[in-house]
Amino acid sequence: MPTNNLTRAAIASLAIVLMLCACRSDRHSASKQLTLAVNSGVEGDALKQAALDYEKKTGIHINIAEFPYANLFEKELLDLNAATGAYDLIMLDDPWFPRFATKQFLTDLAPLMQKRGQTGPDADFIPTSIALCRHPYQTGALYALPYVGNSQLFFYRKDLFDKHNLKEPLKWDDVLAAAKTIQENESSGGKTYGYVMRAAQGNAAVADFMPIFWAFGGEMFDSSGKPAVNSQQGIAALKFTLELGKYSPPGYPSFNADEVGAHLLQGSAAMSINWPAWISSFSDPSKSKVIGKMAFTTLPGATRQGQAEIGNWLIAIPKDATNPEAAMDFLLWATSPEQMKLSAQRGNPPTRRSLFTDAELVAKFPSYPAQLKSLETARPRPRTPQWNEIENVFGIFLSKANSGELTPEDAINQANAEIEKIVQRAQ
Amino acid sequence: MPKLKRSFSALNRRDLLFALLLIAPALTVLLLLSIYPLFYSITISLQTETAGGFKWGLTNFTRLISDPFFRTAMAHTFVYAAAALVFEFSIGLTLALLLNSQIRGRTFFRAALLVPMMLPAVVVGVVWRLMLNPNFGAINGTLKEIGLNTESLTWTASPRLALLSVIAVDVWQWTPFVFLVLLAGLQAIPQEPYEAALIDGSSRWQTFRYVTLPLLKPAILIALLLRTMDLLRVFDQIFILTEGGPGFATETISLYIYRTAFRFFDFGYAAAMSFVLLALTNVISTIYIRFLQTKQASV
Repeated sequence: MPTNNLTRAAIASLAIVLMLCACRSDRHSASKQLTLAVNSGVEGDALKQAALDYEKKTGIHINIAEFPYANLFEKELLDLNAATGAYDLIMLDDPWFPRFATKQFLTDLAPLMQKRGQTGPDADFIPTSIALCRHPYQTGALYALPYVGNSQLFFYRKDLFDKHNLKEPLKWDDVLAAAKTIQENESSGGKTYGYVMRAAQGNAAVADFMPIFWAFGGEMFDSSGKPAVNSQQGIAALKFTLELGKYSPPGYPSFNADEVGAHLLQGSAAMSINWPAWISSFSDPSKSKVIGKMAFTTLPGATRQGQAEIGNWLIAIPKDATNPEAAMDFLLWATSPEQMKLSAQRGNPPTRRSLFTDAELVAKFPSYPAQLKSLETARPRPRTPQWNEIENVFGIFLSKANSGELTPEDAINQANAEIEKIVQRAQ
Repeated sequence: MPKLKRSFSALNRRDLLFALLLIAPALTVLLLLSIYPLFYSITISLQTETAGGFKWGLTNFTRLISDPFFRTAMAHTFVYAAAALVFEFSIGLTLALLLNSQIRGRTFFRAALLVPMMLPAVVVGVVWRLMLNPNFGAINGTLKEIGLNTESLTWTASPRLALLSVIAVDVWQWTPFVFLVLLAGLQAIPQEPYEAALIDGSSRWQTFRYVTLPLLKPAILIALLLRTMDLLRVFDQIFILTEGGPGFATETISLYIYRTAFRFFDFGYAAAMSFVLLALTNVISTIYIRFLQTKQASV
């Protein structure tokens, strides 16, 4: 029901926020223009720069519509739902992709590639990144190309580990033991907490919990697609998280990326799960008190091998894009090795293996080998169109457990029940 | 009445047309931006999206009843609104009374008091988030300086203190508004009743109770009404400060509606919740107006 959807979305947006409509640039007439929806931030900046270069090279004018992360999703979903054809290319955070793909909002890239004599995406792309661009996951048709290859890393204070004779943690139990040792014995320069966790309600709490949950053998859905977070493994993982929380600074149930970053940069916490975007700030003297003291490695395991959560930025062509051919040209150009290298130099982890092993880049970003290993084994968040809603509910109950409002068993059982409701409603 | 009628019929058609022409733009804007969306949102609140398309019915409204998140968010909204209103009103009234009298430096205080209100809610949210940070924040820093144990004072991270923290921020930001309205009300009261009270030998309390308060009622009504409506739809500071956390402890109904509509893309359910909120706001406003007006008449 596209028309119904159209009015629904248009009206609801008007009624609820009266979102200012100033951002819509004039509709492009012919093939000489493209419009891009990008995230305002380092990922979007790289693509904007690429767009300027492309314009110089080809003469095709590129309009940029830039939105903060929190608004990009709703903006894109509203526009694609209304089939306005406002954008020729959109940047997507990978957890949004199932929603867009299920709704058939995106252009299948295979025919456009075949016209150019390509059978599929370049084999140089990291398989875990390409898998995100397919719907269904890994096996289906290709609806996007990966642009920024983030995946979580384990950050730790190498100097403190050496000082207390600790080895790089391979298991979560090692992490807990190290957190205890450091917090109890480290006294130089104020209190040092063993670990620092993001546990603010929502995305933050879930992102920091998933690697532990997976390592302990937890699965969000069982093989029949029923929610299964309240398994023995799930409960064990949450109990472990709360143990780790005892070594996290007070107030961590409200922490988001900023607080975690601040603790690490100030040297008041020794370990955390974090995203590669933070790495460069540790060597910035104006921000960091721990220059040269941080190390980055893949995530610890438990009963299973450790796996990071993947978080890639994808670029897709909306189904109603006015000029898919020209959009495809730009997409292939922007994700080509040469262009992606420029993006990498601007601070975005690439999605191509050849760039993770590129000598020049590795010299500039010494954590690339660890990032490559993490990315190649990383797991996506469960591929469901309801992910936003599920993550929200799961985050609420994880936050309740972390703040001590509920026991781990109660929290995870209630979370499971709520996730079940969401799954049922969608059927 | 007949006179009025005659003057109406005296208006010739051209004048009438001209009048219509003049109000047409405003009317069109109102129709397009308020009335049509309002009715449209009624229709979408009656639809639910299923795998097989849209289904009509009262599903969204029955879901409201059994949704614990909705109930909790509603309860938070009312606790938040009631607590903030009580503090804002009592502090605002005290300040207005103080600064209405001839004290030294009152122009300075008046100006200084208005600053919080002029800041965007988002800025207020960010600033307070930093100040309330348990480890680096100014508040715990100050408390530590004077020798208090701040270990358990985690403010926005504590399920017990989080709601209190966001209420405190609202009181900080919006008491000046109440103060401003009440001060304007106080200054509009003529001197004569006070002189009469003085001659009658009434005490200061009696003067306040039987002269100031009744004459201030219109201003009180405006302040309370506007604040209540604002408080019931509070969004920005909380979104920045806690995002509704920890564990839903500060989730208000606007946050939940926003999430439902723009994160989960369930416009039907969001519209249904908005209507319940609208209805409740209307009921409360009506009660206010009735209450304060009849009292005024009886004095």
